[in-house]
Amino acid sequence: MIHSMDVSELKITAELANLDLTGEDLASLGNEVEKILDYFSSMMEADTAGLAAGKAGSAANRLRPDVRTPGDADALLENAPELEGRFIVIPNVL
Amino acid sequence: MYQSFIGLEIHIQLLTESKVFCGCTNRFGDEPNTNVCPVCMGYPGVLPALNEEAIRLSYIVARTLNCELSPRAIFERKNYFYPDMPKNYQISQFSSPLGRNGWIDIEYAGKPRRVRIHEIHLEEDAGKMIHAGDMSLLDYNRAGTPLLEIVTEPDMEAGEEAEILLQNFRRTIRYLGVCDGNMEEGSMRCDANVSINLEGQGLGRKVEIKNLNSSRFVKMALNYEITRQKELFGKGGKIVQETRLWNENRDVTEPMRTKESAHDYRYFPEPDLPPFIPGAEFLAKVDKGLVELPEARKARFVKEYGLSAAAADFLVAEKATADFYEQTVKLGAAPAAAAAWLQFDVRKILNRDGKELADCPLTAGRLAQLLSLLADGRIHGKIAKQVLEAVFAEDKDPGQLIKEKGWQSMSDMSQLAALVDQALAANAAAVDAVKAGDRKPLGFLVGQIMKQTGGMAEPRLVQELLKQKIK
Ligand SMILES: [Zn+2]
Repeated sequence: MIHSMDVSELKITAELANLDLTGEDLASLGNEVEKILDYFSSMMEADTAGLAAGKAGSAANRLRPDVRTPGDADALLENAPELEGRFIVIPNVL
Repeated sequence: MYQSFIGLEIHIQLLTESKVFCGCTNRFGDEPNTNVCPVCMGYPGVLPALNEEAIRLSYIVARTLNCELSPRAIFERKNYFYPDMPKNYQISQFSSPLGRNGWIDIEYAGKPRRVRIHEIHLEEDAGKMIHAGDMSLLDYNRAGTPLLEIVTEPDMEAGEEAEILLQNFRRTIRYLGVCDGNMEEGSMRCDANVSINLEGQGLGRKVEIKNLNSSRFVKMALNYEITRQKELFGKGGKIVQETRLWNENRDVTEPMRTKESAHDYRYFPEPDLPPFIPGAEFLAKVDKGLVELPEARKARFVKEYGLSAAAADFLVAEKATADFYEQTVKLGAAPAAAAAWLQFDVRKILNRDGKELADCPLTAGRLAQLLSLLADGRIHGKIAKQVLEAVFAEDKDPGQLIKEKGWQSMSDMSQLAALVDQALAANAAAVDAVKAGDRKPLGFLVGQIMKQTGGMAEPRLVQELLKQKIK
């Protein structure tokens, strides 16, 4: 088992993600993140000797030809909460 | 007594049709958010796939810059939370970039210098943000376009040297056709880092400089920063490791406000992209993209065609010009004449009309034809210049133009001799003066004959005949 995540590490991670967490959030998130870490640590116990990351199942490179395949940009823009012309508008974050 | 250490981080946008991990169009200047799709907009459940042309162009640059090629180029997620990247991470390379340990050779202060390349990696570009009052406007057309980053070692010592390296690098990528190298439009961008220390003490504390939109600003910002650091050092002050921005209005660098934690990117391998393994077949395709570089081509032009260094320099500055030149010579033009015409007469017209050689009525075939007509004496020098103008104006072959306009030079000796006799008879005073030893009227007599033939007489022959007949 990996060490459970200590609160200071959680705070730094939250800060990197631009999240303002209250003491309450930290407590409940702490538990949830710990569960995720537990899950990863049990995965890490699996024997992967001889398996290189990314090699499994892909002997050849996975490439796509340099061809334009335009999608429906307008449909994606409809999901934006606010538009100014075709620009997506968000609160100023300098 | 101080030493300065300059390194550059150069980003170039690769000239592909589509983005690096999706099929959206890769093009500058389109309407905002027209070239976007679920992959580059960071929708859940999508699968990026590597653009084979983007990776080929990347390896072409790595080979050209003498890098060791990674046998397994790994893509990683660089995590950061800023709205210019809708995914909250940028796909980049970290642990195993595609190229390492290369170099660029330049000439600085009259000496050859080798600037080492630390690494070259392929990543996706971010979108564009416009800050407008209390809101920000986002355009994701650029998000996910292929961006190649070239990181040099801190091997340079002055702003001028960095400027030369950048110019040299720009010429190289334009030769390779991988990037148009337009720093104003941002297809080529450069951050610089510089530290100073007492001689022999090794690197100092590194200061990074951003917001450098031209190679001139790179030079100015670095020289400003070196002076600032030296003064600070001299006063016993402490240089802070920081990022500074070039202020092009005030010609100074200013500290940029950043959070320390912002540099903790928590790279991890991109699970959606397998490592890229360059095989023999791929590397053969890369080799096909390698070209003779400007410096080598210049040396060859001097040796093979007997050109001056200045003429060769002019011809190799743009690959299109050098290709045009060699094509003209291949079609039979004398190397010296073709070089001179391109360097002077053709360039003058192009500059005047604001045209590019690649996109004008003059072709290598037409220039070769013009020069051969000139060399054979079918037209003379002054007419040749007129023909060149006519090629630009009418988009026709020189041979055809000469026929249409009756510009063939008159070189039939008996015809010319008759004209000379007439002129001599009509200008007895001038003839006497020449006989008495005054050579000036000779020019007058040539002029009379040129006038009479509408400029078509071959002046060299007229002069010869005059000298023979006035004795
Ligand atoms: Zn896309």
